[in-house]
Amino acid sequence: MTLHLGDVRVGYEIPALAKVLTREDVRAYADASGDQNPLHQDDEVARSAGFPGMVAHGMFTMAHLASCLARWLGDPAALRRLRVQFRAPVFMGETIVAGGAVRSVDPVRRRAVLDVWVTVEREGGTEHAIKRGEAEVDLA
Amino acid sequence: MRRTGLWYVRGTRMWGDRLGGDAMALNGAMEGKEYPALSFVVDEERVHRFATAVGDDGTFVPPTFVTAPEFAAGLTQVAADAELGLDLARVVHGEQGYDWSRPVRVGETLTVRSTIESIRAKGGMELLTLRTEMRGADDELVVVGRSTLIVRSRA
Repeated sequence: MTLHLGDVRVGYEIPALAKVLTREDVRAYADASGDQNPLHQDDEVARSAGFPGMVAHGMFTMAHLASCLARWLGDPAALRRLRVQFRAPVFMGETIVAGGAVRSVDPVRRRAVLDVWVTVEREGGTEHAIKRGEAEVDLA
Repeated sequence: MRRTGLWYVRGTRMWGDRLGGDAMALNGAMEGKEYPALSFVVDEERVHRFATAVGDDGTFVPPTFVTAPEFAAGLTQVAADAELGLDLARVVHGEQGYDWSRPVRVGETLTVRSTIESIRAKGGMELLTLRTEMRGADDELVVVGRSTLIVRSRA
């Protein structure tokens, strides 16, 4: 199922995707991506750097965002560009939520640009793991 | 509010206190340096592990799987480059971007080449931007990754 030009309007919010961060997933990500920084695998190392515990890779949160976009698009090949800024570290047991909204649609090139983000609810407030992200997608 | 947020601030301050000083860590003359190209085989088992870790259903190669070849050709070589003087203990990942020309295919071999695109000073820190090009069998461009690392200044 591919997303069509007619399915997309400026301001449309894509379905959010939540994921609970687990040690198993983040360690598996470290192996699969090759980023073996102990900050992302070991609570003691993370604490000695001033964090409350193991920190998920920024790239893990970006991968989750790409996952959210791929599900919405129905075709991962339609994701043409993704740019993000990493803002806040996220920790095991927290729930990260990826989301986005359509900023503009180009009917001639059949492309849309989206503002995208990853948030985490933390002690009554919302923090951004990823802020000011931008995605460009192909539309059928 | 935000106990963990405070922890982060405290962590940042701790680094600031410890590192102090204004000595710049990176060798700015390395701007433009190109690292040796690396061949990276898109292994099915590794793609599967990646997909499982990030929660994809395994029916496609996750778009950010390209982080694996990018990391192998980029940060791994950059961190080992004595001429550059990058200390990973002081690095935070600031920004990341990918421009895909087409999706990566399981089983294909990518030629991956990283270049130091820029080294800039900003507010007592340095920003190192690494550009990594990944090409397919016929030298066809598959994806370009751009990674900006924030480097805290040396004590």
